[in-house]
Amino acid sequence: MTHEELEEAVPLYAIGALERSERQAIEAHLLSGCAACHAALKDYQTVASLLPFGLTPATPPNTLKAKILMAPASTASQAEPEQPGPRSSLEPGEWMNHLFPPITPARSLPFRFAMGFAAAVILFGGGYLAWMNYTRTAQRSGEIQQLQATVQQETSRVASLQSELRQREQTLDGLKSDLDQRTTEVAELRDQLLQREAELDDAHTQLTQHDSSLQRLARQSEEFAALFKNPASKVVSLSGSDMAKSAGAFLLFDPATKKAWLYAFNLPALPSGKVYQLWAIDDKPVSAGVFGLDAGQKARMLIKNMGEFPRMKKFAVTVEPDGGRPEPTGAIYLIGQI
Amino acid sequence: MESAPRQAASAIEPKLLARVAKGDQQAFGQLYDQSSTLLFTLAYRILNDRDEAAELLQDVYLEVWRKIAKYDVGRGSPIAWLVTLTRSRAIDRLRSRASRGQHVVADSFEHPLVSVTPDVSPNPYEAREDTEMRQLMAKAILDLPLPQQQAIEMAFYQGLTHTEIAAKLNQPLGTVKTRIKLAMSKLRASLHETLPQGHQL
Repeated sequence: MTHEELEEAVPLYAIGALERSERQAIEAHLLSGCAACHAALKDYQTVASLLPFGLTPATPPNTLKAKILMAPASTASQAEPEQPGPRSSLEPGEWMNHLFPPITPARSLPFRFAMGFAAAVILFGGGYLAWMNYTRTAQRSGEIQQLQATVQQETSRVASLQSELRQREQTLDGLKSDLDQRTTEVAELRDQLLQREAELDDAHTQLTQHDSSLQRLARQSEEFAALFKNPASKVVSLSGSDMAKSAGAFLLFDPATKKAWLYAFNLPALPSGKVYQLWAIDDKPVSAGVFGLDAGQKARMLIKNMGEFPRMKKFAVTVEPDGGRPEPTGAIYLIGQI
Repeated sequence: MESAPRQAASAIEPKLLARVAKGDQQAFGQLYDQSSTLLFTLAYRILNDRDEAAELLQDVYLEVWRKIAKYDVGRGSPIAWLVTLTRSRAIDRLRSRASRGQHVVADSFEHPLVSVTPDVSPNPYEAREDTEMRQLMAKAILDLPLPQQQAIEMAFYQGLTHTEIAAKLNQPLGTVKTRIKLAMSKLRASLHETLPQGHQL
């Protein structure tokens, strides 16, 4: 119940219209020392106690007074004060005790029963209050213990969840590093594969080049063989000049096809940017082609159209700049004539 | 019966109770004289039986005699204490009678909170202050709307809780609570205005 609800229940409490649980709630609230509710209850209790003044008076029997005045004397000898009857409704003394602290009992009571009863009442009242407080305290501490137990349970649950989470995180980290490693490996493999593919391409290119040079050589060999076997072929030998005394060459020539074949040997190695150039000389020299040297300082060259051979008197080989020249400019290394 | 003028029930001095607490039988007799008519009226109103009301009063005064040491003026006026004790004991009796299946007082307006024409005439055996108080209270109650009078009557004299009242009247609980609260609040206000000196709420 909120304070507002409790405050609103005060007039109902004063007139005795509350249910037991509500009554207990408001009594507990009053015991907590709420001054406003104390004051309100005192007012309403007075209002309730004045209600009987609104009734038409009824006079008690004449004999009643004597009976009542006799009673204390007759009960004075009782050692134990008699407890009044059923306590189903609120004791009037109770709410008053709740509102105000009990007074010190009068010491000068001449009646032993009254003394005893007062003591018993105080004991009972004190015991009741103590019991109420104890019950409440016990209930509260029970509730607190229960709450603490719940908190501990929840805390341990949270802790176990946290450790589980940490485990999962560790597992995840492990999986992630595994994945990283695998990714790196895959990348490396891919790089290797690309490298291999490049190497393969290179090899393929080289092979193609090799094939074509082999084919060329084969073709040249065939041409040479054809020239060599042809009985109409003529041979011109060239000998080394002072520049290359040990060098020599011969030229096979077929007048029908105008193809020629040059084979040179022991020519000196060429400086860079230079080539050998073969000249056919009639009135003036005509270039028949340029050539380099192979590993054994030999040279082979097929000339597909040598022109009108019978008019050629001399042949010479000079060293010329790369690509050759229209007319000889360098020194003669080989020379021969028909 | 008594030569001295009667002292008012509404004007019982706390000093008188202090004397009773000290075992003063004469004081106890005076307390009876001042309070018995009001307490008997109350008991008779609740129990609707003179003999039973007289029996109840014997119990009540014995309890007063025994419990008087607990009384403190700070707890409320002497008459408030006596009325509250008497009402509680009478309601206890009413309930134990009901649990034994005996006759329970008839409902509500057969025994209204005040007489239809309240007897406000001075009573030769009644103190002047009590007559005034009776007139004030009768007027304050008659000023209440009938449903509020009824709710107060059922709670105070029949000892019914608001839930029981709501069930009996076939009214919502909130309505009954409001009726009681309003009635109590109005009574408090009118008593504040009209109570003679010495009867502060």
